[in-house]
Amino acid sequence: MLQFITKRTATLVAAVVVSSFAVFLIPYFTPGDPVRKIIRSRVAGDAVDESAVQGLSESLGLNDPLAVQYFRWLGDFFSGDMGLSFVSRTPVAEQVLPALSVTLSLVTMALVLAAAISLPLGIIAGLRPGSTADKAITAVTQALIAMPEYWVAPVLVLVFALKLSVLPTAGWNDLSSAVLPALTLALRPISFFTSAVRAGIIDAAAAEHVPAARARGLSQGQAVLRHVVPNGLVPLSTLFAVWFAGLLGGSVIVEVIFAVPGMGRLLFDAVVNSDIPLAQGGVVVVVALAVGVTTLADFVHRFLSRTVGASLA
Amino acid sequence: MSPVNTHLVLDGLQVSHRTPDAGTSGKPLLSNVSLSVEPGQFVALVGSSGSGKTLTAMSCLQLLPPGLAISSGSVRLGDLDLTRASEHQLNSMRGGRLGMLFQQPKRMFNPNRTIEQHLKEPLRLHAGLRGSKARSKALELLEEVGFADPGKGIRAYPHQLSGGMAQRAMTALALAGQPGMLLADEPTSALDKVLERQILQLLDRERRERGLGILYITHNIASVAAFADRVLVMNSGSIVEAGPVGELLTRPKTDYTRELLAAARLAPESRRRPPSRERDILVLDGVGKHFGSRRKLGHAALQDVSLTLKRGEILGVLGQSGSGKSTLAKAIVGLEAASTGTISRQLDAAGPREATAVQLVFQEPHSAFDPRMTLRTSLQAPLRPRLDLSPEQRDERIAAVMAEVELDAALLDKRPGQCSGGQLQRATIARALLLEPQVLICDEATSALDALTQRTILNLLLRLQRERNLSLIVISHDMDVVRYMCDRVAVLLEGRAVEVAETKDFFAAPRHPHSQALVEASIPCRADGLWSVLDVAKP
Repeated sequence: MLQFITKRTATLVAAVVVSSFAVFLIPYFTPGDPVRKIIRSRVAGDAVDESAVQGLSESLGLNDPLAVQYFRWLGDFFSGDMGLSFVSRTPVAEQVLPALSVTLSLVTMALVLAAAISLPLGIIAGLRPGSTADKAITAVTQALIAMPEYWVAPVLVLVFALKLSVLPTAGWNDLSSAVLPALTLALRPISFFTSAVRAGIIDAAAAEHVPAARARGLSQGQAVLRHVVPNGLVPLSTLFAVWFAGLLGGSVIVEVIFAVPGMGRLLFDAVVNSDIPLAQGGVVVVVALAVGVTTLADFVHRFLSRTVGASLA
Repeated sequence: MSPVNTHLVLDGLQVSHRTPDAGTSGKPLLSNVSLSVEPGQFVALVGSSGSGKTLTAMSCLQLLPPGLAISSGSVRLGDLDLTRASEHQLNSMRGGRLGMLFQQPKRMFNPNRTIEQHLKEPLRLHAGLRGSKARSKALELLEEVGFADPGKGIRAYPHQLSGGMAQRAMTALALAGQPGMLLADEPTSALDKVLERQILQLLDRERRERGLGILYITHNIASVAAFADRVLVMNSGSIVEAGPVGELLTRPKTDYTRELLAAARLAPESRRRPPSRERDILVLDGVGKHFGSRRKLGHAALQDVSLTLKRGEILGVLGQSGSGKSTLAKAIVGLEAASTGTISRQLDAAGPREATAVQLVFQEPHSAFDPRMTLRTSLQAPLRPRLDLSPEQRDERIAAVMAEVELDAALLDKRPGQCSGGQLQRATIARALLLEPQVLICDEATSALDALTQRTILNLLLRLQRERNLSLIVISHDMDVVRYMCDRVAVLLEGRAVEVAETKDFFAAPRHPHSQALVEASIPCRADGLWSVLDVAKP
């Protein structure tokens, strides 16, 4: 187990380093020289003084080898200095961290909602595959995949905010303002979780140890509760983490539509405004978190399913 | 001792497919099955696979697979008519008064729960024990079934137990509810003789000490001769013959029973002398295999194994589960590289042919084929690299090996799920023959089959060996198979070859203590010498 944890943690660190290096390189691949851009933004007129370019490059450390620049940047980054935003001239960290907390709450709410809806649906469908209930659940949840967020969100706003006036249209103030964005974000996970739970339950129910448990005197319900449902849900832990990681960066559309000040919105604005330090900071934080969550899910999955450990050993 | 009456009586039981409108239809799977097992009786139910033995047991528990239903007849346990009992009555009966011991114990445990969690279920349901009381009872049960360290066993997950230990744990689980009647469905067919005998002795002790009634389902006639009082013979869903064990085994009335008995009697054939003048075709010198990382030498599956195989020879490799038999097979074929020692082949073929001249016949025929491919596609695969063969030649070759293993060519268009175990095992042999091997390694090639099918497969192997002058390595835990087939025997114990001897000498005077234990266990322990009837029951 210790070896497993060490290995996975090493993979995690490697993934963060590699992806952060890619992010670090972004400015080098954007057209135009950033130094000239900075000077041009301060000085009137098109002519740029070459000595000013040299001086600024020197003071920013841009003449050092790439590796040195990268590790200086990475060191600064993880000590909290993510640089200044081009647009607001404020430290990136001060913008990223609040946005991150908003997105984390939004994504958590969406996934809790998705789990609360898809667990019972998937279990009902999986226990009686082919039944009317199964067909109805499968049809509805599969239809959800086909509904894009930019369509669902306005429809929900139209119904709940404009017609029924029970929920606010947009913003991020109290719990009621979180309902519609969380629900919109939950729709596709609901669909995927339901079919995963259904498949897991069908597999678990077909296992030969289930009739063996009945032969020990467990009632149908007890056998399902003790031997089918827990085993059927094991694969869900990984799926849950993958979606958590995916939604951290994938909530852009929902955040933009509902004016939620989260990471998606932040990254969207950073890209639109070519605010490279802000985009870099946001992406590295999201990547680190996503990789961390998936690694954590591996540990949980390994703990839940003893045989995974056996096959690795 | 059991105060409740647990006399099990089946009367005219018929099981059929259920139709959507809750009726039943078609040819019944079980018809007119009547039997009676009294407390303290050891009744054996024998028959080839697919004859309905397991279905009979599941009918007793009222746990038929979905789609099947009892269409007529009754099952009674004491005063309780199980076909009419309420679900509540059935739940307290299952695992309580009527226990069941399953075959293939590993698949019958929930892989995510410990042995303790399993044992606590019947203890809570049928003995009302919880917490530490249940735990100490569970430890007691494990000790009773022969766990050397119950404290460790109770914490184990099923996959951490060996096959034999899992079967013991399964036995403890079946006995936890203090059943008065036990349905034992092939509880030992996956075990070697030593373990088989231990499990059966354990059940027999329960029978003698507290009057446990046992319905022992098996296709292993030798164990029936050793333990049972009465025998029921089942064929295609009906009981064709029944009687006291001595009478039925010595004077079988039906042809089917005679066939079964003949198949079980894998008496030593009058085998020719081992081919002493032939040259060695395979030489293993100090072969070892360690699993684990390079720095830390892990568990040694094989240690310093030195063996030779002559051309045209049949070498048996005997050993208990976990003794390294399969690792040895894989090392010889080249599927696993040996960590130490050398394996040299002196074959007639060279180049790529040399690589395929040693072929392996796998253990479980159903998992040796891709379930989605037809047999034709599976058989075409080994020929794919042979660019020198035209499509017609490939088809001819496949047709030829199918004929050689006595399979109908029409089977080529079937998928594994549509074939019987015996047919598939023939197909695995056919697949191995396609590449014209000189050495065929049969890794427990018949242990998943019933005695009748096993016999036909063994005879097929013997014929192929004669006709093609093959060298065979027969890996088995079954002493009878080895005695029937082999010229020489090698015994593996914890990865070491502890004894290599000619078959005749080996069975007459095994030298190593482990070999002695194996040979001794293969002779049943019954005092009345009923074993000998197997040798006089002429077909």
